[in-house]
Amino acid sequence: MKRLKYIRQWLSDWNAIFINELRMIFSDSGVLIIFFLAGFVYPVLYNLIYGEGVLNGMPVAVVDRSGGTGSRRFIREMDATRELDVAYRCTDMAEAEELFMERKVKGIVMFPEDYDDRLAAMEPAVISTYADMSSFLYYKNLTMATGNVMISEMHDIQEKRFSAAGYGDRQTDQAVKPIKTEAVIPYNGTFSYTLFFIPAVLMIILQQTMFFGVSMLTGTMREQNHSFALIPDRLKGRGINRTVLGRGTAYWLIYIIMGIYTAVLIPRLFHLPQNGNPGDIFILLLAYIPACIVFSFTFSTFIRRRETAFVIFLFITPICLFLTGCSWPASNFPLFWKLFSCIFPSTFASRAFVNISSAGADLAMAGPQIRGLAAQTAVYYFLSCMAVYLENRKLKNRKRND
Amino acid sequence: MTVMMKFIKNTIAVIRREIRLMRQRPIYVVAPVCVMAFSMLFFFTLLKEGLPDNLPIGVVDHDCSSMSRNMTRQLDATQLGRTVMFGDCTEARKALQKGEISAFCVLPENMYEDALSGRQPTLTFYVNTLYFVGGALSYKNLLSMTNLFSGAVQMQALQAKGMNGEALIGQVRPITIDCHQIGNTATDYMVYLSNVMIPGMLELIIILVTVYALGSELKYGTSVHLMEKSGDSMAAALAGKLLPYTVFFTLLGITCDLILCRQTGLPIRGSILNMFLMTFLLVLASEAVAVFIIGTLPVLRVAISIAAMFSTLAFSLTGFTFPVESMPPYIQGLSAIFPLRHYYEFHVHEAILGNGFAGWHAQMTYMLMFLLLPFTVWRRLRRAWYRMDYPKN
Repeated sequence: MKRLKYIRQWLSDWNAIFINELRMIFSDSGVLIIFFLAGFVYPVLYNLIYGEGVLNGMPVAVVDRSGGTGSRRFIREMDATRELDVAYRCTDMAEAEELFMERKVKGIVMFPEDYDDRLAAMEPAVISTYADMSSFLYYKNLTMATGNVMISEMHDIQEKRFSAAGYGDRQTDQAVKPIKTEAVIPYNGTFSYTLFFIPAVLMIILQQTMFFGVSMLTGTMREQNHSFALIPDRLKGRGINRTVLGRGTAYWLIYIIMGIYTAVLIPRLFHLPQNGNPGDIFILLLAYIPACIVFSFTFSTFIRRRETAFVIFLFITPICLFLTGCSWPASNFPLFWKLFSCIFPSTFASRAFVNISSAGADLAMAGPQIRGLAAQTAVYYFLSCMAVYLENRKLKNRKRND
Repeated sequence: MTVMMKFIKNTIAVIRREIRLMRQRPIYVVAPVCVMAFSMLFFFTLLKEGLPDNLPIGVVDHDCSSMSRNMTRQLDATQLGRTVMFGDCTEARKALQKGEISAFCVLPENMYEDALSGRQPTLTFYVNTLYFVGGALSYKNLLSMTNLFSGAVQMQALQAKGMNGEALIGQVRPITIDCHQIGNTATDYMVYLSNVMIPGMLELIIILVTVYALGSELKYGTSVHLMEKSGDSMAAALAGKLLPYTVFFTLLGITCDLILCRQTGLPIRGSILNMFLMTFLLVLASEAVAVFIIGTLPVLRVAISIAAMFSTLAFSLTGFTFPVESMPPYIQGLSAIFPLRHYYEFHVHEAILGNGFAGWHAQMTYMLMFLLLPFTVWRRLRRAWYRMDYPKN
């Protein structure tokens, strides 16, 4: 009987705290902007900004000092690639350099005077390229396109020479390509910026919007002289769990919707790869969102005034992105940053989401990340309870002193 | 007393008041210093290798011949790669999907025999480009590796036929490309990223702190006191409030420039003094954006949320990783509203290309144009400071 009463009381407290938190959220325009405006608009905006995520027809200048058939064919092939557009044909390097300095071209390809002569004499010929390193994508486009054209040209030249030496078709092919190569780039064949960047950023948006929303509310409550750690007085300081769980449920409810929008709907809307099982993605969200909630509860306790959260913590957002390892590889993180990255749920969730949704991994393969999120949830849950406990003791002391 | 004298007196009064506020609430000074210190530490140490080396690359060796073992060894020996052996393709594919390796190659059964007897075996490699830098580098590495091997087999066959010397090289590798990387010869990611990320962080913190400093007057109801001090002059109030921050942020920015210069070796051709000048302009432009935001939305909590959204977007729209010209046309214009975009373009002209004033005079003009922004909200902010009739919480 006593136990039943306890459970009923527990549920009613939990419910009251939950409803109160929802009311707080929905009556705060700053929080609503962060949760809903940022939460809904950011994923769309990032998709619009990056579009296809590829740089097509990058303008380059060509200096053809050789002017033979070989160099002319190379230039034609280069112009036909997706990556490059031969925008200017210059008579000398000075002219090309000027275009480069004016940023009208992002690269220069120079054929030396002896290019065709050397080819004719069966000597190795050298092409010089100059890449604008102000964005590495320029460099990548130039090297990839010239490299691919070079390989196909090389095979052409070799084939012609073997034919001239009296080889048959089959023999020529054997001599030119003793080993054939096939490159398979299964998940992002065009090296699209969008396909690597957006999936990683989606998970970060969920974590960061939640963190800043929670912090703003914590700050507000503190400013208004009542705490986030409100425990009904008659409980005499017990009931920490229902406080944390009651508040948490409010965010869970909102973020499970935001999560489905971000992780399921957005990839559909913008034709991002969806190679994963939707059920697996949902389970990932079920692991990620609680981790984000208790993470936010823990770190928001350091916020004294509502607006300072941004001033102190906004810079962490781009850093979180680097910590996912989607750009600089995680295998090359120094140990300190490897450990530091474990503070953020987004590190695990981004990797798991990219692997599941884009690369088609199953849930078992995302095991390490899910376990990481579970461990974070446990640790941060404990810390949020500690925070409530300490805050309550402080409040009580203050009351006694008054 | 002349008007000018009065203005100076009022401004000094406001400056005094602001310095007192900064001392009372250290967040204004401590937060920017900590943010910049942390960011620099982060980028300098995380990317200290410059170019990631020893990326894990999987090998599935079905051949187990002297040739396939030689290939594996060579791949392992390159600076970029480190081989991880897998028993079969499924295992390797799973590791690829999990992001544990960025690429793997499959050496087919009887590869050695087939290659020698002209049956042309196919070597397949798989690359995961969802992890961008690792994927792209492994792709490049594997491609040149396989070409090298194909060439080696060819060379053996030709040597058997009695060809040698330059003719042999000329036949196996008729064309080579000699790439010159202008502005970053070592393809150093640390140099590349930190030179824009650090000024980006500076822009971010300036906008936030300025919005916070101006908005706090409304939130804590102190703006009437501010206007009293400034002798009812909006110009004196704004100048007095912003001057201490401008000096502080400029000093902070110049310090960052000096550290960046030491760490990354840029500017190669340009002058550090020009970098200082542009940092100063970045400070002014960012403050102007902040004044515009708080003036348009004189409610601190809303303004700071909008400022936060704006500042994070700047990193993408600056276009230093993904170029602006490949964004959709309607987005391209949007990039102009971020001071960081103009700073980046200046940086390219000054530090990478060494074009000097002739290269970046347009960017300087754009930066100065940001200074017109406060005038558009002048009256609105003044009214808000006077009446304090906007919601405070």
